[in-house]
Parts: sequence; C-alpha cells; structure tokens
Amino acid sequence: MTALRALLLLGLLLLPAVLATSWVGSAKVRLALAEQGAGTRPQQTAVAAPSDDAYCSPALKKILRRVLQSCGLLGSRSGRGCQPLEAKNVATVSGDDFNALFQPMRHRGGIVQFEMAKADLPPGARSLVDTVFTDQRGASYFFVVARASPEGAVTYNRELSKRRAEAVMAHLRQTFRDPDLDREVGLLWLGEEFAQLDGEFCDWKRSGAAECVPADINRSAFVAWIDCQL
Amino acid sequence: MRPRPSLLLIMVGAALGLLFAGFSTFDFAQHLDRQVHGVHCSFLPGLTGTQVGESGCQAVMISPYSSLFRAKLWGGIPISLPAMSVFAFLLFFAAEVALSRRQGDRRATGFLALATVLPAAASAVMALVALIEVGSMCKLCVGIYLASALCLLGGVLVWRRARRAEGNADGWAALMRRADAPKSGEPAWVAGEAEVEPVPVPEAPMDSAPGPSPAPATAAVGAGYLGFAFALGVVFVALPVAAYVASAPDQARFVGSCGALENPGDPYATHVPLDPHPGGAPTLEILDPLCPACRAFDLRLAAAGLADKLDRKAALFPLDNTCNWMVGSAIHPGACAVSEAVLCAGARASLVVSWAFEQQERIREAAARDPKAAGRMVAARFPELAGCMGSAEVRSRLNKSLRFAVRNHLPVLTPQIYVAGVKLCDEDVDLGLDFALSRMLEQFRQGTLERTQLPAAGAVSPAAAGKVTP
Repeated sequence: MTALRALLLLGLLLLPAVLATSWVGSAKVRLALAEQGAGTRPQQTAVAAPSDDAYCSPALKKILRRVLQSCGLLGSRSGRGCQPLEAKNVATVSGDDFNALFQPMRHRGGIVQFEMAKADLPPGARSLVDTVFTDQRGASYFFVVARASPEGAVTYNRELSKRRAEAVMAHLRQTFRDPDLDREVGLLWLGEEFAQLDGEFCDWKRSGAAECVPADINRSAFVAWIDCQL
Repeated sequence: MRPRPSLLLIMVGAALGLLFAGFSTFDFAQHLDRQVHGVHCSFLPGLTGTQVGESGCQAVMISPYSSLFRAKLWGGIPISLPAMSVFAFLLFFAAEVALSRRQGDRRATGFLALATVLPAAASAVMALVALIEVGSMCKLCVGIYLASALCLLGGVLVWRRARRAEGNADGWAALMRRADAPKSGEPAWVAGEAEVEPVPVPEAPMDSAPGPSPAPATAAVGAGYLGFAFALGVVFVALPVAAYVASAPDQARFVGSCGALENPGDPYATHVPLDPHPGGAPTLEILDPLCPACRAFDLRLAAAGLADKLDRKAALFPLDNTCNWMVGSAIHPGACAVSEAVLCAGARASLVVSWAFEQQERIREAAARDPKAAGRMVAARFPELAGCMGSAEVRSRLNKSLRFAVRNHLPVLTPQIYVAGVKLCDEDVDLGLDFALSRMLEQFRQGTLERTQLPAAGAVSPAAAGKVTP
C-alpha cells in the first residue's frame, strides 16, 4: 500500500513538470529549426510596393523607361519635358502605337481640353486635373501629354503644347505643393507633329463640351497616373 | 479503503481539471516557438482539432490575464500550468485520503476541502475577468471552471461527512465513557447528552469504520501531517513552474532583430499623435483604425503598463482597397474613410481612433453593405470633420501615409510597432509584448537600442545590420 501511495505521489508530482518540459522543449526545437530555415524560405507577408498593373507589359515598360529617362524623370538629367522630336525618337513607335500605350489607362486618366490657341486652364479643366491627380493610389508616375490641333504653324503649335503642359504642371504645384511632383510628373509636348488623338479618345473623361471632334481633343493635355513599376 | 462517492467526485474533477489545464498549457507552450498556432477550443479537447484565428480561447490566451510575470519571461508563466499542478495535487491527496483510510478524518478531509477552494476561487476570479475584461469565454477554461466546481463540491461533501462521522464517533465514545463511569441512575443520553445521539451514516461501506463502531480506524492527523501536505502542495506547484522557466527558450536575442525603418522621416506630416508622452520613446504604430488586432494591441499595451513610457504616433495604413492598392479587397471595409477622419482630426486623432476601436464591428458591417456608410457614421459622430473628409488634400495625405509604407518596404500588415525606428517583432506583439517591449525601452533608455542580427546564419538578411539612431 505504501509503495502504491509513493508511486502515486511520484507520478502525479512529476507529471506536470515532465509534460511542461516536453512541450517547451518541442517549441525550442521548432524555434531553432525555424531560425535555420528563415533565410531560405520566401517571405510570406506581402511587402508594401507601388502598384504594377497587368497592362504593364515588358514592351510598355521599355518604352516608358525610355520616355521617362529622356524626359528627366529617371536618371540624372536635369530639367523636365520632352519635345516632340525627342518623344518620337525615344518612343521608337508610330503615333498610333504611342497612343495605344495609353489606352489601358482610360479609367485612370482624363483629357484636359483648352480653347483654341490658348494655354490657360479653364475652371472645369482644373477640377478634372485635381480629380485625376488625387486618385494616385499606387501609381508612381503622372504623365501630362500636351498637344495642339493642326491649325497654325508647326513651331507655334509646338510652343503652344509646351505651354499647355506647363500650365498643368503649374496648377499641380500651386494646388498640391508636393515636393514629390518633381519625381513623379513627366511632361511631353507633342505639338501637332506626333501621335494626334483620334475619335476613340472622345469616350474618355474630358473637361470640354459634350460634343467631341478630333480637332477639339487635340487642343488638350492628356493626364494620367501610370501604374507601372520601372 | 474504497473511496466514497464524494471523494470520487474530487478525483474525477481533479482528473478533468488536469486534462483541461494540460491542453491549455500545451496550447500556450506551442507559441514559444514564435510561430502561429491553433488552439484547442472545445469541451472535448482531445477529440477535436485546433482552431486558428479569432476565438474566445485565442483571445483569452493572448490576454494579459492568461499568464504571470510576462515582463520577466517571454509570454510569462501560463496560469494553466500551476492549475495542472493543483489538480494533480488534489488527485493525489484525494487518493491518499482513501488509501490511508482517512475519509472519516475531519482534519485530513478539511485540508482537502480547503485545497479545493483554491482552484474554485481562482476559477471564479478568472471567469469574471474573462467576462468583464476580455469579453470572451474559452471552452477549455469553462472545462477548468466546471472541474474546479466538482472538486469543491466533493471537498465540502467529504469534509461534512467526516465531521458528522467524527461527531458520531465522539457520541459513541461518550456513551462508552458514560457506561464505564459510575452510574448516576440515568442513561447518559437522558442526562443532557441527547445532542450526541448517534446518527446513522448512509454511505457504506466506510473503510475507516469496518466494524459496528463508527470510530475512525486511524488516528486523526496532526499538525505535522497537515504541514507536510501543505509543503507537498507547494512543491507540486513549484516544480513544474521551475521546470518551465528553466527550459523556456531565450527570446531576448530576438529583440531588435526584426528590422528597422529605412526612411523614418515624415516630410508630409502624415503621422498623427496617438498617445503623446514627451520624453517617452518615440514609437510609430502602423495602424488601421478598423483592424481588430490593432485594438487588441492597444488594450494589451494599456494592460502592460508600458504606454506611459511611449510617445506614440500612428502611420495610417488602412487595409481597404478603396484607397490602398496593396490589398486586393476591402479586408476592413470603411477603413479608408475612418483613416481620412483620423488625419482630419489632427491633434485630436486619438479621439477618432478610440471611437473607431469601440465601433469597429458596426462600422465594418455597415461599410460592407454600403461603402459610404463609414463616412456618414464618422460625420455623425464628429460633424466638425465632415468638411475635410473626402477632400483632395486629405486623400493626398492618406496616399502619402500609404507611401510611407512603400518607402520603408514595410510588410502589408497591421499593427506594426517601431520604437525609435527599430521594429518590435511581429511575434512579440501579443504574448511577448511585455517582455520584448520592456527590453526595448530599457535599451532605448540606455542608448543601446539598435537593429541587430541574429547569430543564426540566414535568420535575418545581411542588410539588416547597422545602428538606427533614434
């Protein structure tokens, strides 16, 4: 009887200690294994990053990179903006193909329309720029692609489209006072020489009148965030 | 020596308590490996699997009431471990009382009954804490409470029976004494001894009284026996606790090993004050005001008593795809609107955050049905913010806050805590909070808080080395 009592005492006295030690020991072993494997396992939690949408094909990224480098957003080149000739050269695509690059951004962009021979942003155009710009989400680059309709001289239209692009930039600076603007906003002015918009772009969000003809939408600055990581 | 039913009740209760407390301790100890584990959450813990994610059992386990000395030992000592010991002791002592034929001993059974009060009282306190403070009940804990109640019931019954039996024995002995004494002409029970009239004992057989005499077979236990039993009870508790503490892995080496902010600056003033304590350790919390884990962290921080040592700010990171492109869906619907309100509130941001924590479920449910509902709820509670919410400026600021996470390559996860730029490991945000945070604060006070690298090869990327200046 005494032996039974002693056995009972010993068994029940040691049971919690043995179990606790065994469980903690197992955890210790798993911890050591996890530490050893930590370097080889891929990280399971997603890491915060700019957006990189499905339309950002390698071909598109290549062209975007060229445009951005030539236009001063990537690399060490000072100043900003691409002139029509530069845009045409760096894109190395036809005007239609160049415009096609922007088609996937129809829900992210807008076309700011100007009056003929004018480069002042009309009030409706400002609110469109603000709406598009504040919807940045994960995008890294904001493109302003200004154009002019074919009326008038080529050099005049080149200059006019440049002033239109700069008017958008000035408005952004004044409204948002954002130091990131210099790293995010790319300006292209195409005059009447390259990548004129066709009627397909009339369906886009526009600041102009409801009636839309190609000449109207080329007195414009196309604005859009580009959801691509370069 | 066959145990009485009341003694059997204690044994069954103690065995059940040992089982439930054992599973509870097992679940707790699993987490010492710093991984995510399910917990047993059933009245039949051995027959059902574990549950991962939110459950009453998980909430209770993570709550600051599930363990002791959390600041000294990672996770602390789970209270279910001493509970195991107490139930093991009760099981042993109940068996001892039966085997040593002391079921009729008032002192031995009294000690046993007193011992059953301990788990019963602890269970009552813990049940109240779970209901009032934690707001969740765990099935394993309920199992422990019921087991404690069985033990208490058995303890009281076995003690009462022993008292009555001893009373009977005293009465019988008195009668014998009267019979032996010189006759006074009246039977003893007539001459004022009627109160010791023998009472029949219904429970049979009574091991301690095998014959017709109700007197106990063994002598009543003395103070020495009871003192030894008490000391044995202490050893029952101390031994597993000591074994647990001695074998627990060293978690201090992980402090500072989980990275740091690469670009801690806030050029766009998007960080909002949460709980300012000038002079405290500058602490940044990556926060989603509708995230239950953020609310739970807030409560744990308050319970840990460390909040006063932190100068807390929040970088808003709503897990809602309305504004956050890094999540595929609205994990917390309405979080973008509430985050805008927090930014709009400026210095009073903590008021909005506190309200959002209180109303989390209601806001999320309403926003899941109608995406604009969260904005309306905030505007109804804080009308002064209505004009700011949804404005281009605040939307831009919220975007900048999200971009803070991008700039620092932070995990898409809330909450994340950075003390003086050094990350509190995600594994230390719940059970290990008191332990890890108190060490980080101590290192900050001494000026030695820095990003470290684990000695184990490959545990942290080589780029993770280098001091971070507060």
